[in-house]
Amino acid sequence: MKQHPLCTDTEHEHGPSVQDLPIPAALKREWAALETRRRFLGRTGKVLGWAALASLMGERMLTGIAHASDAKGAPGAITKDDLKLPHFAPKAKRAIYLFMSGGPPQIDLLDHKPNLAALYDTDIPASVRGAQQLTGMTAGQARFPIAPSHWAFQRYGKTGTWVSDLLPYTARMVDDLAIIKSTNTDAINHEPAIMLMNTGNMNAGKPCLGSWLSYGLGSMNDNLPRFMVLQTRTNPKENNQPVSSRLWSSGYLSSEHAGAGLRSGGDPVLYLSNPDGVDREVRRKMLDAVEEINHQTLAELGDPETNARIAQYEMAYRMQASVPELADLSKEPQSTWDLYGPDAKEPGTFAYNCLLARRMAERGVRFTQIYKRGWDVHDNVTGILPMICGEVDRGCYALVTDLKRRGLLDDTLVIWAGEFGRTVYSQGGLSATNYGRDHHPRCFTTWMTGGGVKTGITYGETDDYSYNVVKDPVPVRDFNATILHFLGIDHNKLTYKFQGLDQKLTGTTPASVVTGLLA
Amino acid sequence: MTVKDSAVAVNSSPRIGRPQTSRAAWIASLALGAALLLLPFVLRLDGKPHADWQQFLGRFHPLAVHFPIALLVLVPTLEIAGCFRPALRESAGFVLRLAFLSCLGALTLGYLLAYGSGDAGPGVTRHMWGGIALSIGVMLCLAARALRIAASLRLVYPATLCCVLLLMTWTAHQGGSLTHGDNYLTQYMPAAMKRWFPATAQPLNGTNAASFYTAHIHPIFDANCVACHGESKTMGGLRLDSYAMLMRGGKDGAVIAPGHPETSLLLQRVTLPTSHKLFMPAEGRPPLKPEEIAWIRAWVLRGASPSETKVAGVVIAEDHPRDPPLQPVGDYSAMMAEIKQMQSGQGAKLLQVSSKPSDGLILNTADVPSSFGDAQLAQFQKFAPFIVEAELGRTAVTDASFDTLSKFTHLRALHLEETAVTGNGLAKLAALSQLTYLNLSGTRVTAAAAAALDAQKNLLHVYLYNTPAQPANTTNTANTTDAMQPIARKTP
Repeated sequence: MKQHPLCTDTEHEHGPSVQDLPIPAALKREWAALETRRRFLGRTGKVLGWAALASLMGERMLTGIAHASDAKGAPGAITKDDLKLPHFAPKAKRAIYLFMSGGPPQIDLLDHKPNLAALYDTDIPASVRGAQQLTGMTAGQARFPIAPSHWAFQRYGKTGTWVSDLLPYTARMVDDLAIIKSTNTDAINHEPAIMLMNTGNMNAGKPCLGSWLSYGLGSMNDNLPRFMVLQTRTNPKENNQPVSSRLWSSGYLSSEHAGAGLRSGGDPVLYLSNPDGVDREVRRKMLDAVEEINHQTLAELGDPETNARIAQYEMAYRMQASVPELADLSKEPQSTWDLYGPDAKEPGTFAYNCLLARRMAERGVRFTQIYKRGWDVHDNVTGILPMICGEVDRGCYALVTDLKRRGLLDDTLVIWAGEFGRTVYSQGGLSATNYGRDHHPRCFTTWMTGGGVKTGITYGETDDYSYNVVKDPVPVRDFNATILHFLGIDHNKLTYKFQGLDQKLTGTTPASVVTGLLA
Repeated sequence: MTVKDSAVAVNSSPRIGRPQTSRAAWIASLALGAALLLLPFVLRLDGKPHADWQQFLGRFHPLAVHFPIALLVLVPTLEIAGCFRPALRESAGFVLRLAFLSCLGALTLGYLLAYGSGDAGPGVTRHMWGGIALSIGVMLCLAARALRIAASLRLVYPATLCCVLLLMTWTAHQGGSLTHGDNYLTQYMPAAMKRWFPATAQPLNGTNAASFYTAHIHPIFDANCVACHGESKTMGGLRLDSYAMLMRGGKDGAVIAPGHPETSLLLQRVTLPTSHKLFMPAEGRPPLKPEEIAWIRAWVLRGASPSETKVAGVVIAEDHPRDPPLQPVGDYSAMMAEIKQMQSGQGAKLLQVSSKPSDGLILNTADVPSSFGDAQLAQFQKFAPFIVEAELGRTAVTDASFDTLSKFTHLRALHLEETAVTGNGLAKLAALSQLTYLNLSGTRVTAAAAAALDAQKNLLHVYLYNTPAQPANTTNTANTTDAMQPIARKTP
């Protein structure tokens, strides 16, 4: 079939071109324009083809970067060796994070403000409050009456640190603590604040501190997860804010870095025991078969999450032996029960979790996080706070003391923190005997102790109303950068490329290590 | 062009012979030299401040001194470069003249600074004479350069220039010591280099080497004050570089009133608001730390004794013995293949302390505690020089392992908690000079066996919890509780 000259592609045609034909100049111009458009479209098609090929080849072959996985991972995967961690010799090899979910009221616990008694039921000066946006719970209040702490404070230890009567056990160990009065956060509501504390970002989807440590530092004991989460049984009389697995999620890191939770009652890990009729050998055979299938899937699809799944099956198998040993408290000497108190015998209590955390530290778990909910005291502070402190105080003291006497505190970091503090002014009615406190992000009190921490100090200061930080502020990103520093990590160097950004725990706002907290 | 023209003019003047100009220049130089030499005798630096305008101008001295320094360093550069590009040599003369003029300028400003602010002291004197000598030296250089055409005097100019550069270095160092303190350069010098610069003997006569003053008070002054209140620079007639000088006080009298911190001038001045004119340390230097002020106050309150070793009411964390600095181990990179192999296996592992090989390895047995015994430990002996920490807690090792462990010469931390060791052979650990941490908790070690450890001075962290050797006061928690009663009571 003879083609019309306009329909041929001159690139592949030899002989006279259209421009040589005896046709009107206007037609030639039109042809030139069409030719240009045709070429444009043709080339565009090729570009799309290249782009499609690039995406088929995957990020891995183009950039040499793949999703993180373990050493057995797919070629090109980041292994622990590539990370060159720890960046320097760490002071702490492991950490235990006592997370006080809900926001403990610093004014009633550790941030002593003796001047407030005289200001009872007076309004907090507007200059102190500034232009701060309050929560919906108190923004509509006509008055912001100052509620001095209901409890007396006394000085303890060689350092003479002021501690509330609510914390008689914490008071005994103040010389071993670095109390940070100037911690502050950007979020005023629970979910964003607790995400920020744990993941360095208010939005869900980022890996949490424990996952970063698992990713960066690897395992000290292959028979137990590197990152374990212990939830304290809730007390229905307290105002319990939800705590979800987002807080120990591995985000964009491989899911094997997510925190493994131990249940607070019954079997510590559900379905960990073999079902009736299946012994360990049969289980092993089954796992071997599943692993083989999984390896085929990995070879076929190359999804690094398959690797994570294989690793998790193996971990679960090893945990069948290691977890019962971990949770078996029958060999604990009497001195343990004397220290932790009778609560510790009851699974799910804070004291029990503290004891488990010590046993995990002994067995090389990298990071243990204990969640205690109920600190959200919007009302009835005098009724609820003694209850929470009664549950928490002795466990904290017992854990630190136990670690210390067993020689573990030298290389274990212990952190006590909530997601924010609480207001000096009363939420709802203020009476002579009771008051409530709303969320307060501008300052809250936390403490640390253990490997590398300069103990026996109080860091940072708040104003007379415990409302604003006046000296040495410690924003959440600096708090987290300091924790990483104790564990031998430069927070700027522990990164993971995701969505085109070298992601890190401390985020994009420049963070710095709080050198005043380093021994 | 101007540079070249003037340089040519200078060089050519002796050649075409203009004796009058030359003679006048010589006379002027001699007069200027004499004037410079007489200056300190006419306007004596008597240690008293004078007019404010003098200080105002004088404070530009630290800025201005950089001109003669830079220009003088440029002169030999140009002279040498002139061997290859003659035009550069010609410009050297001009630069040298500029250097001379800037020398005079810097000298004038420096003198105004010292005279105006009342700075005095051996260091100031040295720096002053250095500046005067340098100015005269540069003048001689100019003369020598003019004369170097004569063959017999060819070497005079380079020699003079070298002397001038040496003199400049010395003078500049004196000036730097005045601003930053005598120990500015040596403070963070590596220990190996410090041996070549023996520390100037601390003038701590009459004080006890272990006294609170020597250990805690003097270092505060040394770090924060003696740059201006020391031997080389003595502002306000006050020196804080020795106990005797501290107690003698300055031109306003005594600065320490033993027993009365509130009337002690020194404490008053360091606790003023930082913006106050009389606040010390002056000139924007960082204020003393609160705990440092507290120590000085407590020390003065207790009589400001030079020899007392303990001051009641002061607990200083540094009183606790500190761990010796970590010694680097050798590089284990060559054995990396073997180490990696072990890390991927199911047995005991060697973990890296950090990514720096010199930080050493940790022997980790957490995966296989029950099957790790003396024989397994012995297999790690070839890595012994690199292992800084051995985690043998809950393993099956026994007393027999002390022999092996004594060969782990770089061991800093040894975990033997919950093992079957009884302490028989603990004395063998004496070979481990760097061992600072030993955990024997939950073993059957007795007090008698543990006594073998007393001789090891570096062994600061020994844990004997839940052993027969456990000190009595930690056996039950009630006792520790008693020791932690509130120290003061106050009802808000």
